[in-house]
Amino acid sequence: MKDKNTTLLKTLLRSTSQWNIYKYSKDKKKRGRVVGNAIGFGILHLLLICFCVATTIGYGRMGVIDAAPILCALVLSLLSFIFTLFKTNGYLFNFKEYDMLMSLPYQPKEIAAAKFLYMYCHSLPMYAEISFSIMVVYGVYKQPSFIIYPIWILLSVIVPVIPMVVAAFLGFIIAKISSGFRKKNIIQTVLLFVLVIGAFALQIMSQNMINPENVDILLENIVEKTQQIGDMYMPAKWFSNAIVSIRILDIILLFSVTISVFEFVMLMVGASYRKINSALQAHATSKKYEMTSLKKNSIYRAIVFKEYKRFLGSSIYMVNAGLGEILSIILGIVTLIFGFDNIMSTIMKGAPVTTNMLYPAIPLIVYFLIGMVATTAISPSLEGKNYWIVQSLPIEKKVLYQGKMLFNMCLTVPPTIFAILCIGISAHASVLSIILFIILGIVLCAFSTTWGCVCGVKHLRLDWENEIEIVKQSAAVTIYLLPNMFVTMGLVFLTVFLGTFMNANLIVAVLTVIYLFLSILSYCKVLSLVKKN
Amino acid sequence: MSVLEIRDYTKSYGDGKIAADHVSLSVEAGDIFGFIGHNGAGKSTTIRAIVGVLDFSEGEIYIDGHSVKDEAVACKKMTAYIPDNPDIYDNLTGIQYLNFIADVFGISEKEREERIKKYADMFEITKDLGDLIGSYSHGMKQKVAIISALIHAPKLLVLDEPFVGLDPKATFTLKEIMHELCANGTAVFFSTHVLDVAEKLCNKIAIIKKGKIIASGTTEELTNGNSLESVFMEVVNEG
Repeated sequence: MKDKNTTLLKTLLRSTSQWNIYKYSKDKKKRGRVVGNAIGFGILHLLLICFCVATTIGYGRMGVIDAAPILCALVLSLLSFIFTLFKTNGYLFNFKEYDMLMSLPYQPKEIAAAKFLYMYCHSLPMYAEISFSIMVVYGVYKQPSFIIYPIWILLSVIVPVIPMVVAAFLGFIIAKISSGFRKKNIIQTVLLFVLVIGAFALQIMSQNMINPENVDILLENIVEKTQQIGDMYMPAKWFSNAIVSIRILDIILLFSVTISVFEFVMLMVGASYRKINSALQAHATSKKYEMTSLKKNSIYRAIVFKEYKRFLGSSIYMVNAGLGEILSIILGIVTLIFGFDNIMSTIMKGAPVTTNMLYPAIPLIVYFLIGMVATTAISPSLEGKNYWIVQSLPIEKKVLYQGKMLFNMCLTVPPTIFAILCIGISAHASVLSIILFIILGIVLCAFSTTWGCVCGVKHLRLDWENEIEIVKQSAAVTIYLLPNMFVTMGLVFLTVFLGTFMNANLIVAVLTVIYLFLSILSYCKVLSLVKKN
Repeated sequence: MSVLEIRDYTKSYGDGKIAADHVSLSVEAGDIFGFIGHNGAGKSTTIRAIVGVLDFSEGEIYIDGHSVKDEAVACKKMTAYIPDNPDIYDNLTGIQYLNFIADVFGISEKEREERIKKYADMFEITKDLGDLIGSYSHGMKQKVAIISALIHAPKLLVLDEPFVGLDPKATFTLKEIMHELCANGTAVFFSTHVLDVAEKLCNKIAIIKKGKIIASGTTEELTNGNSLESVFMEVVNEG
């Protein structure tokens, strides 16, 4: 890389570095927030490391530690592919400082490459944590030669690049297609949805390849099955071979193919980079509007409408915050078509669990899809430089946040009801049970909304460069998501366990009361935070 | 040879809207060229094409004889651009940003120090350069953007509404700098809504309406003893 390009990458990284803010900001509150966020992120990353270590120890205890290198490569590849799909277009196209960067003496290819590498550098710590955690446990169990450690570390840095480049290329194709349409955002979002759902489907298919009919058989041949998948994705195989057999040729292959794929894709992206960005920045203007009578709306309706337009105005926001709703609708329809029992028997692989035991988990499963992203955790910070508009409105601040919460409820409640209804009918649950499931579903939406708003207001950040920083990487979203995800996962298992000896409706009722209480607490916290701010 | 030459530049969008319609003009070394027109007339679209930000299919734009389409990097090396609302990195300090731009243009340490000091002193912003840009006012950000544009001593300086947000002293300083640059052979091309400024500052002016140049020439030719405002209103209402 030429020096000029290194400078650009360094500047891009520095421009979003929290350290730079801490070092140069004179605002004590801002600096405190940086420290708080760093501690929060540190804890969350520690949790991730613990999770990876524990999982790999599990593999070790089950005697399948030999599968660790290839599993590591596959996990890194899959995660990097999916995460990149979600954010690539926000990083590569239509970014805020596009005019400034494009007017500098860079080729479009160099700007695209710097933006890609910036995205890569931001993602790398997470992939490294996953990989190194697996490596350490693998080292303890296998006691391999010392040379595998530097190889593992080196290749862990390389292995996410190809899936990221492929995802970026797909994002580029989507941007290219959508740039030709008048409703660019909608087209871009629909195509991204299709791609992300396709990626999930692929993941499920690959899991089914590993998972045989029975859990015991699964443990017996997991090494062989993961090897089979690795054979289909060569970079994972090269990674595994380089570690297990210390094959230099595989290391060279992984390096050379990665560099070639990167160069090729950047060349392609660079060739039409300016054209795509020009088209994406062009706003359709019909100039055919004629003044007609305007309808008066309530303040809440006006705020909800504003939130709705903001949601539709950004494909990154829409894909990230709307995917769960789409997936839950798909889940509902699929369950109706294939039957709850059939789907559960495929997932449970002969585990001693009856449909009745799974009943209380139904609203939680739907919530696991819908509640993992709340618009209320995102939208306060997304106001960004337009914050003055809402600040200067002659309304109480709490009304603004109530409007934001109302929008999230409007977005999440209908698909929740639909999915629970479909699953409940398919599972032949009683009418009373379905009603209780729906009530719990709605309460969970309320909790997601209010807890999201607590995180969104408490970790309000308006000085972002790219909305991806808020939608995917902000403290508000991370602090909202991770505890919520782990608690929900834990609750799914707990309710299934409780379902073995307790009445399902009783479990659902208890959960409803607990979450209702948490929602009220969160709502009160929002009001107090808003008042304080 | 003209520093900037635009030949039949046309920019249309997918919905059929023509933002720039066969725009042709030429800016010589030492010119201060004012580009005026009402909102949405096509000023920014033309400016963004000149500086290589916006893609276009019809026409040609040359900077010092180099085609913007085919030799984009060579053109950008000679050009400096200040957008109407400069989006510069909020989380960098002023000096970090200026240093970045100097690095990109390969300016020697001595030259960059001299130029940054000179212009930062002129804009009275030197003591603020160690602060984060996010803490700056709009005018201060504008000043940093202007200094960054002057670091590499460009042959062509392109400014989109440069006086918006500047205080009267900074406005005066910028005009002084423009005169100084032109005396040294730099060409300045800028858009503005402030007709008084354009009339006093520019030696050449073009008026654009609905993407078409409807009047162009030296300021004396164009005004012919009248005020630029009256000429502007007349041609815009006629066109």
